[in-house]
This record gives sequence, structure tokens and C-alpha cells, in this order.
Amino acid sequence: MAQRHDTTEIRITAGAVTDVMRTLHDDPDFRFRLLADICGVDTGTTMQVVYHVWSDATPDWLRVIVVDLPRNDPRLPSITFLWKGAEWGEREAYDMFGIIFEGNRDLRRIYMPPDYVSFPLRKDFLLPDDASRSPGMGIRHMEQAASPVGAPVRKARTD
Amino acid sequence: MTTAPKTQVRSLDDPLLMVDTPATIYDAVPPYPPQTEREAEFYALRGGEMLINLGPQHPSTHGVLRVVLKIDGERVVDLDPVLGYLHRGVEKICENSDWHMVVSHCDPLEYIASMFSELVPVMAAEKLLDVKVPRRADYIRVLACELNRISSHALFIGWLALDLGGLTPILYGFIERDEIVEMLAALTGQKLLFNYMRIGGVNGDLNHEFLSRLGDWMSHAAARIEDSQTLINENEIFVKRTRGLGVIDRETALRMCLSGPPLRATGIPYDVRRAHPYSVYPELEFEIPTREEGDSYARYLLHLDEIKQSIHIIDQVLHKMPDGPIAAKLPRLLRPRPGRAFAAIESPRGQYAVYAMSDGSDQPFRLRIHDPSYFNLQTVGLLTPGHLVADTMAIMASLDPIMGGVDK
Repeated sequence: MAQRHDTTEIRITAGAVTDVMRTLHDDPDFRFRLLADICGVDTGTTMQVVYHVWSDATPDWLRVIVVDLPRNDPRLPSITFLWKGAEWGEREAYDMFGIIFEGNRDLRRIYMPPDYVSFPLRKDFLLPDDASRSPGMGIRHMEQAASPVGAPVRKARTD
Repeated sequence: MTTAPKTQVRSLDDPLLMVDTPATIYDAVPPYPPQTEREAEFYALRGGEMLINLGPQHPSTHGVLRVVLKIDGERVVDLDPVLGYLHRGVEKICENSDWHMVVSHCDPLEYIASMFSELVPVMAAEKLLDVKVPRRADYIRVLACELNRISSHALFIGWLALDLGGLTPILYGFIERDEIVEMLAALTGQKLLFNYMRIGGVNGDLNHEFLSRLGDWMSHAAARIEDSQTLINENEIFVKRTRGLGVIDRETALRMCLSGPPLRATGIPYDVRRAHPYSVYPELEFEIPTREEGDSYARYLLHLDEIKQSIHIIDQVLHKMPDGPIAAKLPRLLRPRPGRAFAAIESPRGQYAVYAMSDGSDQPFRLRIHDPSYFNLQTVGLLTPGHLVADTMAIMASLDPIMGGVDK
């Protein structure tokens, strides 16, 4: 018997984050009080931030996807005013993807050293191993975040 | 920011020689201007306050965690955890490995209970692949996980007492853990990083040595747990140092995204095994123990209750274990459908989740690992201010973080 509880999904834009999350959290009909996860996603063309929230009113997780954040300047409001605990989740998304959460008081690197410059989980951040998958690219420096012109970036075929 | 001031330390080769070293590890104050509001506030000292460094190589930090404490006398005013000493970039590595390899990469995350950290990515992959896991495999998974939960909880109790200065309970904790580890070694061939779960099933069937060791252990497990309770349950020093320490109320627990024992110790019965049943947990009878107090002592008692429930589960699993295959038939190279899946389980530390995205190729497009230790550890900054420096360890130990999972 596998879990089948994550099929409900809503997609919003960055401007709607504050209102949508506040309604989900505070409205007595929703009561999504527990933030199960917060993460960033790089689809290769845009950035996304994905929240999973849980309510005692329904057996499902609700997946809230903030779509269409521009890759060169991904910004959205922080939700630390509802869930203080999202602070480190947002710090991690910032550290790994460079997503700016406006309103987070402590948005700095958490895993990587403070003087680190690039964002490791972006799709154009290639590990030396990846060079073998892209013939003609050769080995490039790991911290070279911006991809050169014509470099293959793996893009999602899902959306 | 890039010009780190140097400090001088004695050379290891020549004791008379002083050599330059980056000041970052040895100095509590970072060698760059504050980058955020919170950082500026933390590193601005008022009169009488000082900064001290705890870790990264301190035994009570349960791994490689560095905490900068701001203290006034013996009281902690504020603290700033510094993570990343164990960061390996598992999520990035997984994006570059195929689905079967993901299991062994996720294995060392929660290294005290690695059955759980390998089960979650497997479940996410099964969701994407729409695989039906054979019932026997599901039962074996539950059996292995609950055994591992007991071994992890037994160690937690020992650690908590150790960080409070009691040296004996950890030996009793290790008796339990040693027997279970030997058992799981007979089952999986490994003692710490089992690499036992497979997409669609498990790696090997139950064998004679495992079952005979399990039978031996089950005959005295419950009695031994009762016995080890008498060591510290009413120990005056232990109770005085944990009761009323690090109190979290329900509202704060939800706001801080806690899960697992710290959340249930505040009275919220959120357990993924019941909230979002997976595997064969709907067929098993067990309770979700909760406590109301929300302090370190409640968290300790909750772990004891959970051990008893796990023994109860193992008993039922052994009676209900069906026959049949232990793995679904799957191709060597997996190409799940393009899509997204979120799988979560209840690990000894809380809700362990994986959010997987597949683009139809043989590698995950994105594999997000949500480790409960990471979110639980964050609460330490809220609980510690006002307490003594020595109580910082007790609070941290009662939240039970595993740095392998925190740092990923």
C-alpha cells in the first residue's frame, strides 16, 4: 500500500505567496498548520519554490508551487512570518539556488562557506563528472556558475 | 569578505615555528562584515557579553556542528549554529546518478538509523514508477525499520544521559544497539550503512541467523527496557536537569516546523505512520504516544514509550509475515514517468521526506531530501537563551540531531 497523498497541487506566482500561504495557514476551513517541506527547484529555464503543507482537516499534503521565477533574479516573499522554522529552509534554498526570500532576516549561506560565490544546485553548475556527459565541453572549473554560450543545460520535460 | 585575517598557530612539523592559518575555525567572530540583519545583531556585543566557540569537534555536538555561543557570565544570551562541516552535496550527487545508485548515496545521511534514510528515496521512486511492492517486502521493511528505530532510541537515551554527565546509561544503550546491529548485520551484511532497501523491494530475504538472534532478543527486550528505565527515570540529578528545560509549547512547535518526538512531546499526535500511512502500517495496531509538557524530560520519556510501541509492532509483524517474493520485477535501468512525487516516513527523529522530480531519464531531475534533524536543530536557538552553558548540551541532545542528515 503506497502513499498516494500528494496529488493536490496549486501553482501560484511570486506575488501571491503571502496571501495564499496566510489563507492556507489561518483560514479555519484549511488549517494547514504544519509545513512539511520547503525547497527550491531549478527547471533549467525558470526557478521554482515548492512548499508542502499538512492540515489535520485532510489526509493529503498540499503542494504549493511558486512558478516562473526568473533564473537571473529569483525573488519572492519569505513565509517566516507564518512559520519561523522556514528560516533555515529558505537559507538552504538561497545557498543552493540563489533564490532571494524578501523578509527573511537571516538570508545567508548555510552549508557553503560565506565567501562562496556560486549556487551549486543550479543546473548550469556542472560537476567535473558531468563533463563526460557533454562531449566537446571538456573539464571546467567546478565553481564556474554561469554556463558558457551553447553549454548544454538539462531542462525539465515535465513542465 | 575574501581577505580573511590570518592568525598564527604553532606548526605541527616544527614546534618553534609559527605559521599563518585562516582565522575562521579558531575565532568565534567571522572575518567578514555581517551580511544580514540577524548576523549583525548577533555579533554586536553589549557590555559583559562574550562569544565562545562550541565545536566543531566537540563530543556533545553529535557530529561536526559548530555553535557560537554568546554568553553573559554562565548564562547563554544567544547562539548561532554554523553548519556545513559535513556537507557533501548529496542532492547534487543524486542528480548525477541513476535511480538505483541514489539508495546508497542517501544511506549515510541519517547514519544512526540508515534504514530510514534509504527507505524514503526508494518510496519516492516507487511512486514515480507506480510499482506495487510485494507484501512480504513491505513487512520486512517495517521489521527492519522498527528494529533500527529501537537501536536509535536506545542510543539517544544513552547520549542524553552522557551529555548530562552520567556515564553508565550509554553502556546500557549500547547493549541494546549492539544486539540489534548484529541482527541487522546478519540480515544485510552491514553494521551501519545497510544499503538494504531496493526500489521495488528489499535486497535479501530473512535468514536463519537473523531470526534466531531476533527470537533471542525479543524474549528479553521488553524486560531489559523496563530495567534500563530504572537507571535514570527517577534519578534526581537527571530529572532536575531535564524537567522544565527547553520547554516548547504547541504553537511554537508548529511554527518552528518541528516533527517527531519534539513535536509529540508538546501534545500534537503527528506521526507520519498514522497521518499518511505508508507500507503496511494501516494493518498494524500501535499507539502514538504523546506528552504534554514539551520539555527535555518529556522528550526522554517519549522515546521510551516509542521503544515499547516498536517492540509491539515487531511482535505483530512476526506473526503476520506473509510468504511470497521480496522484490518486484523491475528493469536494470529505471526510467520513471516524468512527474513529481513526495514521499515521507516517520524516522526516529521525525518526518523524513523526499521530493523527487523525474524528467523521464534514468537519473532524478531533482531529489530534495528533507531531514527532520535539520529543522529540529534550528529550534535550539530558540530554546537555549536564558539557560546555563552546560544545559545547552542537554537541550541539544534532547532534540537528537544527526549531523550527517543536517549537513547532507
